Amino acid sequence: MKKSSIAIIVVIVILLLIVIGGVSSYNGLVGLSEEVDNKFATIDTMLQRRADLIPNLVNTVKGYTNQEQSVIDSVTEARAKLNNANSVADKANADQELTSALNNLLVIVENYPDLKSSENFINLQDELAGTENRIATARKDYNDAVKEYNAKIKRFPTNIISGMFGFEEQEYFQATEGSEEVPTVDFNSIQ
Amino acid sequence: MTSIQFNKKIIIFVIAIIMLLAFSNSSFAIVSQTREFYVNDSANLLEDDTKEYIINMNKKLEEKTGAQIVVVTIQNLEGKSLEEYATELFREYGIGDKDKNNGVLLLCALEEREFRIEVGYGLEGVLTDGKTGRIQDSYIIPYLKDNNFNEGIKNGFNAILTEVENEYGITIDGAETEVTPKSVTITRIFNGMLILIFVLACVLTRGRVLLFFLGGNSSGDSSSSGGFSSGGSSGGFSGGGGSSRSF
Repeated sequence: MKKSSIAIIVVIVILLLIVIGGVSSYNGLVGLSEEVDNKFATIDTMLQRRADLIPNLVNTVKGYTNQEQSVIDSVTEARAKLNNANSVADKANADQELTSALNNLLVIVENYPDLKSSENFINLQDELAGTENRIATARKDYNDAVKEYNAKIKRFPTNIISGMFGFEEQEYFQATEGSEEVPTVDFNSIQ
Repeated sequence: MTSIQFNKKIIIFVIAIIMLLAFSNSSFAIVSQTREFYVNDSANLLEDDTKEYIINMNKKLEEKTGAQIVVVTIQNLEGKSLEEYATELFREYGIGDKDKNNGVLLLCALEEREFRIEVGYGLEGVLTDGKTGRIQDSYIIPYLKDNNFNEGIKNGFNAILTEVENEYGITIDGAETEVTPKSVTITRIFNGMLILIFVLACVLTRGRVLLFFLGGNSSGDSSSSGGFSSGGSSGGFSGGGGSSRSF
């Protein structure tokens, strides 16, 4: 009698500990997952901000040039892609594509000293550079959060909980290799 | 048995500590805070008067608004990009009020000849990236190009201070206003011409213009007082807003 009641108590205590441990690690995972979502929302806001700056930039450039249509078009297209991107990978790739399209545009701008030195353009360029830096910062914060979260769901014993409740691995925000080469600007057609 | 286990634990503990130190060293290669917090002139570009001025203005500004405008000069970026360095330093120092995030960082990297104004979330509305770029172009970079660091950084600090003052609708006692290096010469020429015209007018009107202007004018002066507070706990945050320039 005595022995069996001790055994029951021990089993109950062990079960309780498992449940408490399970609940706390579940809550921990939920918190980390929220953190990941939250950090991604910041990236999203900044991507939107970047996309919103493009029409203004394009109009300014158009005001000074008239034969750079293909470069301008590639920027506009990249912007549209970014706006339509849904998954993390798509967004990262579209963002990368927009970066290279914009770089091409900035190369062209070198040929237009008036445009380059106009107050409006300098302002837009600062805003764009600032937004790009914000994206880079948000991206680093997001990837750090993803790293912590992914490590946690794979590590024992949290992996039992994450398996039970279907916590899935999160994607890093990074462009797949080669995505920066997508906008092919035909420099021959510009001449 | 137990002594072996104990030894193992100690070894694991020591390894963990070593790893922790290794990691923290690699991620905190930025210059550390000074006792005064508001200014860290590790590249030795500022005069003592300027540092004192920056500290005094900041104490008053922080007391009134919680905002902080921190000036940091560094020898080099230790392989980091200017933006990375600035954001890391901003967060590490926790510039600005914890809830308002109203901090600004002026960072000058001497060897790379780069300058950055980094703005906390709370002041991004008034100090947009475009505006911080313009402030650098008009008030800082012209001086830095001539290696006139003390003047340029102080002038930029004043320009930022003016913006922050306007944002909060306050005046900081003893704050100087920024000057535009270009317009200084223009103003001089303009003033010279005015004096010439005035003298000519005096001669032509036989002094009547002079009598007219002698009506006199005087201007009042108002000032507000501001107490001192030591930099308490703060923890402003930056998302990477601001702008950079090479000089």
